[in-house]
Amino acid sequence: MRRRELVLVAAREVREAVRSRWFALSAASFLLLSLGLSLLGLSGAERSGLAGFDRTTAGLLNLALLFVPLLGLSLGALGIAGEMEDGSLASLLALPLTRMEVYVGKYLGLLVALAAAIATGFGASGILVATSAGGGDAAAFLSLAELAVLLAAVSLAVGALLSVALGSRARAAGAAFGAWIALVYLSDLGSIGLVVARNLGPDRVLLLSLFNPVEQARVLGTLALTRRPELLGIVGLYGQDQFGYAGLVALLLGALALWAVVALLAGARVFRKAVVS
Amino acid sequence: MIAADKLSLALQGRTILDGVSFRVGRGEAVALVGPNGSGKTSVLRCLLGLVPFEGRASIGGHDAARAPIAAREFVGYLPQRPAFGDVTAFEALRFVARVRRLPECFVWRELERVGLERHAQARARTFSGGMLQRLSLAAALLADPPVLLLDEPTASLDRAGQREFLELAARLREDGRTLLLASHRAEEIERLADRVIELSEGQVMFPVGLRAAS
Repeated sequence: MRRRELVLVAAREVREAVRSRWFALSAASFLLLSLGLSLLGLSGAERSGLAGFDRTTAGLLNLALLFVPLLGLSLGALGIAGEMEDGSLASLLALPLTRMEVYVGKYLGLLVALAAAIATGFGASGILVATSAGGGDAAAFLSLAELAVLLAAVSLAVGALLSVALGSRARAAGAAFGAWIALVYLSDLGSIGLVVARNLGPDRVLLLSLFNPVEQARVLGTLALTRRPELLGIVGLYGQDQFGYAGLVALLLGALALWAVVALLAGARVFRKAVVS
Repeated sequence: MIAADKLSLALQGRTILDGVSFRVGRGEAVALVGPNGSGKTSVLRCLLGLVPFEGRASIGGHDAARAPIAAREFVGYLPQRPAFGDVTAFEALRFVARVRRLPECFVWRELERVGLERHAQARARTFSGGMLQRLSLAAALLADPPVLLLDEPTASLDRAGQREFLELAARLREDGRTLLLASHRAEEIERLADRVIELSEGQVMFPVGLRAAS
């Protein structure tokens, strides 16, 4: 892959993403919800006396866990399938560019756009809370923003894989929505069901969580905010006991990064052989 | 300049091309003709590496499957359905210019050549079929490639647009470019092609020397 060509494709993708109505609407919603949560956090802090920064960070974690996968999956799913359908991908691939440069370039471009949307939401909330309630644990706040970008990288890679595997905008969008429901809602229910039905121990529950990137992000976010694995219950205690605090964090971060890499490579492999009309 | 050797393509269990072979010499203009579904467009897609095929295809001596970048350096492609995403005409051509390492002044030159200089800052999405076709031709011609692959180039144009396009394409042919054209329009073929290759159900029926015969 040539770096110059990769950057050209990525820059084209950023411009297209920023102009897309779906992206603009989603980014604006994320910004408004982040600001709304921050204001709510501030008003609650006045009553309870809790630090505004920390309450806001906790609220933003839940917002990011819901919103970022939805945005990443849908943007990834619509990207390549949309261009396959309207014919612009054929024109792009008729240029002296390799398929890998096109696929990875488009992925990176979407990731930059998504990271900018996340940074805007987190940044605006951070400024609002810092000016109203004073500083809190800024490092935890930054860790959370970085975690949201990593989750965006994973969900975007999964969305892009669905896009090239299904080849149609409607099917890819449907599959992306299904994947979001599964990762955000059904996976929890499934895990609880398995734990109850099979009487799983904490080792198995920790292993189960590695199959769901949203769950990994949830655990990592909670650790970033509290630095107390025991708050995650027996599984957190087991993780700390087995790997130590730093080891547990490294394991979860590694698993999350592995998700992004595996999904990206799988998508690139499918795209290499894809029929483009 | 263009060589296809036993090209075979099957999609979803259906044979699209079955051992298609032909040669197009430098400066020659050849039309692939045949009914819808005969495989004309698929031949162009194989040459561009847009579909996984069996056999061998090369452009300018470069294998389309093994050295796709080198092969596509020689080619300008005009698709049947031009699409550029949500960009202006200028941005669409500037991207092509950057990929092909050309200065920005080439963009204006091509916009003028196809009569779109006044629409440079308009979104390509808002263009009529004819304007999109002209923008696509500008993108294909930007690097002054020696080979042009044209897929039903006048299919979406009105009569005036067709006449205008044929005049432009005829000039390109006279300039010595190699043209491979997929078409089923008699006027287009007669005006542009030296030779015709007829396809039916993915096979070459018989090559005809149109100019030589007339």
